[in-house]
Amino acid sequence: MSLQDQRFVLFSGKGGVGKTVISSAYALSCARRGERTLLMELNVKDKVSSFFGSSSVGSDIVEVEDNLFAVNVTPDAALEEYGLMILKVKLIYKAVFENRIISSFLRSIPGLNDLLMLGKAYFHATEVATDGSYVWDKVVVDAPATGHGLFFLQIPSVITGFISSGHMYEEAKRIQDLLQDPAKTALNLVTLPEEMPVNETLMMRDELQERMGLATTSIIANGVYPPLFSQEQYDWIDEARDAVAPDSELLGGFLDAASFRGQRVDLQNEYLERLENEVDLPLYYVPYHFTDRVTFPVISKIADQLAAQISGEQEPTALSAQ
Amino acid sequence: MEADREAFSKLIAGRELVVCAGSGGVGKTTTSAVIALHAAVEGRKVLVLTIDPAKRLANSLGVSSLENTPQRIPLDQFREHGLEPKGELWGMMLDMKQSFDHLVDRYSASEENRQEILNNKIYKYFSTSLAGTQEYAAAERLLELHTEEDYDLIVLDTPPTTHALDFLEAPVRLADAVENKALQWIYKPNLLTGRSGLGLFSAGTSYVVKALSKFTGTAFLDELAVFLRNFSSMFEGFRDRANQVRELLMGDKATFVVVTAPDPLQLDEALFFYEQLGTRQQVAVGGFVVNRVHPNWVPEAELKRPLVSLMNELEALEEPVGALSEETRRELAENLRENAAEFYTLALKDAGSLLRLREEIPQSIPMVQVPFFAQDIHSLEGLSRVREAIFGA
Repeated sequence: MSLQDQRFVLFSGKGGVGKTVISSAYALSCARRGERTLLMELNVKDKVSSFFGSSSVGSDIVEVEDNLFAVNVTPDAALEEYGLMILKVKLIYKAVFENRIISSFLRSIPGLNDLLMLGKAYFHATEVATDGSYVWDKVVVDAPATGHGLFFLQIPSVITGFISSGHMYEEAKRIQDLLQDPAKTALNLVTLPEEMPVNETLMMRDELQERMGLATTSIIANGVYPPLFSQEQYDWIDEARDAVAPDSELLGGFLDAASFRGQRVDLQNEYLERLENEVDLPLYYVPYHFTDRVTFPVISKIADQLAAQISGEQEPTALSAQ
Repeated sequence: MEADREAFSKLIAGRELVVCAGSGGVGKTTTSAVIALHAAVEGRKVLVLTIDPAKRLANSLGVSSLENTPQRIPLDQFREHGLEPKGELWGMMLDMKQSFDHLVDRYSASEENRQEILNNKIYKYFSTSLAGTQEYAAAERLLELHTEEDYDLIVLDTPPTTHALDFLEAPVRLADAVENKALQWIYKPNLLTGRSGLGLFSAGTSYVVKALSKFTGTAFLDELAVFLRNFSSMFEGFRDRANQVRELLMGDKATFVVVTAPDPLQLDEALFFYEQLGTRQQVAVGGFVVNRVHPNWVPEAELKRPLVSLMNELEALEEPVGALSEETRRELAENLRENAAEFYTLALKDAGSLLRLREEIPQSIPMVQVPFFAQDIHSLEGLSRVREAIFGA
């Protein structure tokens, strides 16, 4: 299953690996293919707006690029929407959900916030217009990091595990069915070619399968250094560094910088090899971008790089990532 | 920088508890290990409480893996790296589920009560999954170890969470939840109605309750009521301990070290965290550790050198190393220049972040930096190098 057929696409992975960047770039690539795309951040300090140069993204859906819309879901806003959907009347909603005791009660239900955010994502992934067509061609979710991400995705199965009726049960059941359907849902893990992120990625893939019956769709290795030099050049550089006298001014810093890159490339190849050996899934590579801040041109470039690999136009290898 | 390292050493030497905080992926675990290692080398008896150390990190410390109870880490191996360890280093990995079960073992009112809690479906989910419970279990364990064991220093690596403040807020929030009137209303319905009854629905019949049960289902509320009733019996004095944890963390025996990376987005998060710790939690941040700072190898002026001058120097190296064709020499020179320029961009970005951090925090707070190394730091040598970067040679 490639990463272009599903309507509901989620990205998780260890903290700090660039999930938001990859979610944003992927969403942009979908929008550029002409798909009406919704990108969802879940109750985080909004980063998407800085990537697209838009005003800050809040709990109302805003268009940030042609065909590309974004929203930062908060549990409170999701609760209001959801409560209104069930209770139909705003006045009753206010009476129930804004009741001090009830709202304080709702805040202490374990996992309710996660369920509400997941429920909102589900709602948009299945939202149909009056003519019966889907409102969104793609719903892309920047999901929580590994540990929390597991709890987040587990919520529906936990709920259906201990209750068997009511709105909350039905909602959880529908979400669970959608998540478990590989034709509709793509669950992707973003990683860096480093020890801990790779460990966590492999662990999360296994836990998703074992605990929730959820199959991972693809793995995206982010921040892959393009080698730049050939292996022969690296070898020559290493010999040259040995040959240069410590007090020599010859190319000193240039050789050190090159050797540093060579060592990082070797290290990352070790971890990429491990991923290739232990993962039987599509593996996509996103090169490291030597920029001072991630802004639109970087997102745009990554969108193209991802699109080329996903469509099969370009062989996804670490080397071709440059 | 030397003054920062000195101040940082002094900070660690003067505390019994160091909490390393920061967002995920910034090197908290390694930083915690290095701080603990340093204090142990200096002669103190130290425990590092970690979350999920890299297997290689545990291995490099000479243990196959860390357990949920303190384990002695041999320090003799560091002699080869020129250190004279004088104290003791102990390591322990926090398993959240086990820690929470441990709390139930310790505080449940009776064996029956203990079994009921451990078998409750909501508990099973709650103890591993609810945001904040991990942090709560960590805080409880910390208090226990601090009051009952005789470590000179405990270094705590906080759970990797997007909402890093959970660690501090969780104990009080859980205490609030258990004492919460609304929750008591679920498991002690007669509190509100004056009538006795087991579940919510024997008591309330207002349209509010009906609407709510339409939302959650009655079964869920009943399960929750059972859970809360059991749980609350266990947490007599819950708030007491939550307060003790807070007092410990806010007192002058403890300090918080914010760990970050120099990436602007990660620095934003670290600064946000720093501000929240101070204003909302009134805990003192004692220092910053900035990991993975890109070194600068080639000064800006050198980046603009004409290609031919680089090629000439390459040619001078060909005698000892090996001849290059004109074309390879040109290509190599171009690559050297491009590579240096790329890393210069990163070095400049990191330097900018460090400046910004320095401006945002008072001079009295030391800010130490660890360079981005070419190799993984999960080796004795790597740990020694990080130690040198943080504490000086």
